[in-house]
Amino acid sequence: MDGQKETSPKKRSRLEVIADMIRILQEKGGKIKPTHLMYKANLSHKTMKGYLSDLKKNGLVKEQTTESKSDRKSKIMLILTNKGRDFSTNYSKIIEFEKTFGI
Amino acid sequence: MLELFSPDWFTRADILIEVFSFIVLLTFFIISIKNYKLTKNKKLLMLGIGFFLISIAELATILTKFVLYYKTTLIQNFGNIIVQYSSLHSSDLPYDLGFFMYKLFTLGGLYIIYRLHLKNRNFGDVILSALFIIIASLAGQMIYYVFHITVLVLLGLIISEYNQIYEKNKSKNTKMLVSSFFILAVGQAFFILSNLKIAYVIGQLLQLISYLIFLAIIIKINKNGWSKRN
Repeated sequence: MDGQKETSPKKRSRLEVIADMIRILQEKGGKIKPTHLMYKANLSHKTMKGYLSDLKKNGLVKEQTTESKSDRKSKIMLILTNKGRDFSTNYSKIIEFEKTFGI
Repeated sequence: MLELFSPDWFTRADILIEVFSFIVLLTFFIISIKNYKLTKNKKLLMLGIGFFLISIAELATILTKFVLYYKTTLIQNFGNIIVQYSSLHSSDLPYDLGFFMYKLFTLGGLYIIYRLHLKNRNFGDVILSALFIIIASLAGQMIYYVFHITVLVLLGLIISEYNQIYEKNKSKNTKMLVSSFFILAVGQAFFILSNLKIAYVIGQLLQLISYLIFLAIIIKINKNGWSKRN
């Protein structure tokens, strides 16, 4: 048990996961497929669903459905909103604030 | 019973210091809530509520003192005897209520900031503490230094908590926060001696220095956040 604890990486906080997701979205020009985001953010399907629902609820990310002309299949893309970009801007400030108060 | 500790020459400065404190506290409240909305970190919400309560306390004392000083200035035109009667023996309910609100919200806010880092959150403890806060606020209406002693104890506990946090994170901002709370605590020690008007003035000036440090922390956090982004 102890050995497992030593080797496993530190669990990311909720804020860190959200910041990672937003960062990945920004790196991809503000547009990404949900599955790509899931792999790049290193999340399971279940966790990703929960975080994504929060991000959408808070207006940081929105979903866009587009229909492919070639195979007529609809594709879901995640789009970073202006509020999401603001979050990214304020992230370091939030981290600094939380660190100051030890929370 | 109302007691005016501020010397006549300090009455306007007195209110200005409290207005400044109110603005700084409200800024902390806004930042905490804004961050909470984004992160859903409940500790940020609690911190915000703590700062909000103390800011409301400052607002209550500003409004009460403003009306009180205005009334005293008006009466002063009719002679010194009436002034003394109004200052020391008035039992007007609005003033008592205003100062009671100030005491209650200050203690409540400080208690929330203190509880923020405690792992054991027993509901019974919270109820008991709330009761003691109400008792201390009521007792403070009759014996003014009971309130300041309670604030001093709470600030001592907060300083100890944040000092432990500083030992862990070694953040300059946390060090500034500890210094700020420490100066505020020294100010409270002077308020205990408020019967000496000069002690009241020193207490107020220390409060001003403390809130200036709080403001410097806000500026530093914003600046650092901005520079890390670029």
